[in-house]
This record gives sequence, C-alpha cells and structure tokens, in this order.
Amino acid sequence: MKEIIAIIRPKKVSATKSALENLGFPSMTALSVLGRGRQRGIASELNYEVSPSVSGKSGGMKYIPKRLMSVIVRNSDVDTVVKTIVEINQTAQIGDGKIFVCPVDDALRVRTDETGENAVI
Amino acid sequence: MKMIKAIVRPDAADSVADGLAEAGFFSMTKIHAFGRGKQKGITVGTTHYDELPKTIIMMVVEDNDVDEVLKLIKYKAYTGNFGDGKVFITPVDYAFTVRTGEKTL
Repeated sequence: MKEIIAIIRPKKVSATKSALENLGFPSMTALSVLGRGRQRGIASELNYEVSPSVSGKSGGMKYIPKRLMSVIVRNSDVDTVVKTIVEINQTAQIGDGKIFVCPVDDALRVRTDETGENAVI
Repeated sequence: MKMIKAIVRPDAADSVADGLAEAGFFSMTKIHAFGRGKQKGITVGTTHYDELPKTIIMMVVEDNDVDEVLKLIKYKAYTGNFGDGKVFITPVDYAFTVRTGEKTL
C-alpha cells in the first residue's frame, strides 16, 4: 500500500475529487494547509488582487493557501492515481503543487477489523 | 527522499521556516494541529488543557539534507521547556512536480 499525498490548488480540489471518483478511488482525506515551494511564495497565482501591504516588497507572500489531499491505494494503482492528479492539476504555471508517494505498512478498518489491503479497497 | 514532519510551537513555526529558508530549504507546508505529549497537556491553575495548539511543518528533502534540516529545526524550535515538540522522519518513494509531471523534487 502507498499513501499519495498531493498538495494542490484549492480551486482544483473538486475536479480532482470527481476524477478520482470516476476511477474508483472515492476515499480521501483533505486538509487545508499553508505552504510555499521553490519560488518562496508568490501572489500572482491567486485569482484575486492582493493588496501591496500584504504582498510585501518582493510582490510575493510568505505562505500560499493550498489543499493537501491524502489517498491510500494499492501498489498497483499508484501510477494511475498519480497520472490522473497530474493531468487534472496541470495549468503550466508555477504553483501547481507536488505529489509525494510514501509507503504504508498496514491499515485497519475500524468497523470490520479488516487489515491490510482489504481495509483500503 | 525523506519526509520531515516537525510538530513545533505555533509561535516558533515562523522562525523555523525562516531559518530553513536562509539555509536554502524554501519549500515547506504548514498545518495547524492540536495535540498533546507525554505530559498529557498542561494544567494552569485549576484549568487543565488536554490538547494544545501546535503547528506541523512538513517538508520533503533529499536523504543527505536530513541531518542539516534536523539541526536547524532543533536550534530554532528549542526553548528548553516541555512542549517544544517532536520531529518524525518517514520515507518517501517518489515525488512528482505537477506542473511538469516529472519525477523530481
């Protein structure tokens, strides 16, 4: 099993969610987070005006609001899910986000006591 | 690659982030969280606070940068009192940049 952690633009969440749902991965956890990437935070990726007092001298801002989505899938599904998330979220502008794939040792479904991959499917 | 999740005091989070940025580690994600540690929260007078607000600083770095990042976090988040936080390091198999779709950090 692998955990796919995707940090994406907030306005792309519903598109990503429905795309994953169509593929058969409806379960996910979403967190509202703040962060910055290699460009050290930029204001231009927001679709509304940011007042100069907020954006500072450099024209950027310290942290940018993002959504962190975490999906746990079987090893064989990792490529499909990653490919879908990349396709949906590509805008060709900086700030599209990152995807991390991390190993997961075990899982437990609380309701039925199922463990391992059965708990995830 | 390793994922570093540092659970630090909310007021120390900015100084940790700035310290890391000075050393060249700009990319990070900040998550607000509530939790408790070994001391089971804190008691002030007659009030017991079971869960305390914390900030998780999450970042993914190359294996050979882990020690430097840890040293910086330790230095910036340290106050010597209970509640300074914990740092967890977990493996990451791949990282993708969404814009390019490439397998790079």
